[in-house]
Amino acid sequence: MPESETICGTATLDAARGGWQAVGMIPEPSMSDPRLTELSGCLPGLRLLTASADLEHYGRDWTRRWTPAPLAVALPASTEEVLAIMRWANERRVAIVPSGGRTGLSGGAVAANGELVLSLERMNRVLGFDAVDRTLSVQPGVILQHVHEAAHGHGLVYPVDFAARGSCSIGGNIATNAGGIRVIRYGNTREWIAGLKVVTGHGELLELNRGLIKNSSGYDFRQLMVGSEGTLGIVVEATLRLTDPPPPSQVMLLALPDMDALMQVFALFRTRLPLQAFEFFTDHALRHVLAHGAQRAIAGDHPYYVVTEFDAADERQQEAALAAFEQALERGWVSDGVIAQSEAQAAALWRLREGITESLAPWRPYKNDVSVRISAVPAFLHEMQALLAREYPRAEVVWFGHIGDGNLHINVLRPDGLAEDAFIAQCEHVTALLAATLQRHGGSISAEHGIGLVKRAYLDSTRSAAEIALMRGVRKVFDPNGILNPGKLFADG
Amino acid sequence: MKILVGYKRVVDYNVRIQVKPDGTGVVTDGVKLSANPFDDIALEEALRLREKGVAEEVVVVGIGPADLTAHLRNGLAMGANRAIHVVAADAVQPLTAARVFLKLVEKEQPGLVILGKQAIDDDANQTGQMLAALWDRPQATFASKVDIAGGKATVTREVDAGLEVIEAELPAVITTDLRLNEPRFIKLPDIMKAKSKPIDTIEFGSLGVEAHDHLKTTHYAAPAKRSKGVMVKDAAELVAALKQKGLL
Repeated sequence: MPESETICGTATLDAARGGWQAVGMIPEPSMSDPRLTELSGCLPGLRLLTASADLEHYGRDWTRRWTPAPLAVALPASTEEVLAIMRWANERRVAIVPSGGRTGLSGGAVAANGELVLSLERMNRVLGFDAVDRTLSVQPGVILQHVHEAAHGHGLVYPVDFAARGSCSIGGNIATNAGGIRVIRYGNTREWIAGLKVVTGHGELLELNRGLIKNSSGYDFRQLMVGSEGTLGIVVEATLRLTDPPPPSQVMLLALPDMDALMQVFALFRTRLPLQAFEFFTDHALRHVLAHGAQRAIAGDHPYYVVTEFDAADERQQEAALAAFEQALERGWVSDGVIAQSEAQAAALWRLREGITESLAPWRPYKNDVSVRISAVPAFLHEMQALLAREYPRAEVVWFGHIGDGNLHINVLRPDGLAEDAFIAQCEHVTALLAATLQRHGGSISAEHGIGLVKRAYLDSTRSAAEIALMRGVRKVFDPNGILNPGKLFADG
Repeated sequence: MKILVGYKRVVDYNVRIQVKPDGTGVVTDGVKLSANPFDDIALEEALRLREKGVAEEVVVVGIGPADLTAHLRNGLAMGANRAIHVVAADAVQPLTAARVFLKLVEKEQPGLVILGKQAIDDDANQTGQMLAALWDRPQATFASKVDIAGGKATVTREVDAGLEVIEAELPAVITTDLRLNEPRFIKLPDIMKAKSKPIDTIEFGSLGVEAHDHLKTTHYAAPAKRSKGVMVKDAAELVAALKQKGLL
């Protein structure tokens, strides 16, 4: 790799790292900013965007609470360019927001405070496949769906999957340890990362684990990077483990009469069937997704629904599925159910669950993404439902999630006539109460979305003071100048 | 009125078709098999006509090997009253299928036969038309809307120029197009009920249908792979590349 000069230019420039503000108005930057002139001087080929439309586009994720205001957007095309940007950023103390598909729901990729957005979307090549190791090497900007397609092309699968697959990038998946709809069978992103190349906040290039299956040689920095939300390093290459395709499966939609039935049906199905997914949603969620164009699959009104997918390679397994349904019906745990007869119908059933987030998007809901151990779900659900009913007497609360993983998504829709600020304040108040409830049940305030900006005030409900102090210490080691994604995960840098 | 519905089993349309290495067919082992989508639409339409009171009985018909029973049970679970399984070890060609249907029509005396406009395995698009000719009854193909009243079917057809509305005296053959309806999901309790619905089994050989195959398949081959694209830097390079290929 070419060793470029430490930094071009000699002018000392002020750091633009003021305190975090929720809605910052920063004068529109331009290429006339001397820091950018210097960066372009160092890297003449670097693509830098400063037009206001680009700053807005790249400065936010799916959260809409903050006004994007980055300094500029850099779109490096190589690891060398990322390294050079990080050297420049350390020298000039410019904050960096690493950026992928920006489908995050926690503000992890928001740049509202004069940061340089470092978008990895041009580093979007599949670098190679190793048939013996069964690994796929990719750049961080590869879209998840393209990872799926590349794996499929080699007769294998990359099994982490969720609704944002068409827009989210693998780098962002790694930064948040993304979970999704197949966790019950395959675990989270973490399980599938065989190796990482990372540029640390300090500007060093690390090659972590090199695809090894067994490597007992001290601290596993690869796993430390997974879920670090861009605060320790920037992934510039990932080696992904692939696996055999699952056997043919079937998809069922079940209607449930009450909340208690959820975990009863789950327990029954889990013992009877090789589950690939077990997801639930409420009648509120169904109403939105139907209004958004999905096809109704079960007639009548039912308070809860489950979408489940399981191996059904042969008639014996199909019979077992029917028997499980029959038993649930006899015990009154399900009131109705349908089964997909084709891939198209399977997709239509999945849309009822996967389309929820998109169907709610116009309301810009306040989101909670919480988890407890599976064994704690029934008790937690009761407390949570009582809390939500008490605290949100007027707002519509839509919940759904990966019940088989103990993970619930709660979306609160702003009631008509309530101002945005007052609404957020109310939701923050309820989230604090929810955090306390979670703490009692040993749960987490962020199951799979990450802490980002949205949940950092509640981090201490999930992690102890000692843990948080160590986390800050780890951050100092990898990013001594606090360049990477400041304000995310922790409030002050 | 009784409605006869063709209900064929094919490789699911979302499956990427692979040709067997020896070129004798396509891979079906371990591959998801589903109802031909147009046949699902045919069955849905028949069920809707029954629900409207236009028909009293819906009978699904399948021609295929012994293990076709599970597939026909799906048709019963979807709502058909009963099924007829014509047991034939090998796949039949459209003319043979039409002759089988004619035999069943003579036996069952339906007021309406609804078939998919084509099956997505061989895309022949012939059985409905051939049946109408053999039966000497009207045909209304590529239906996107069907109304039955006063012994007549008013059918909107999807044709190249747009839509065409025709009237056909019953009994008649209707073949379904994609936009006719959206097939319902099979309810799990109905799968259990379907177990007790009757499936009549008829040996193909007992029908007295000539099984002469008019078409002979010599071999299967995958379409030629598209050659990889070339990236050009700018317009000038594009023009040069096109000129080099003699395209400009």
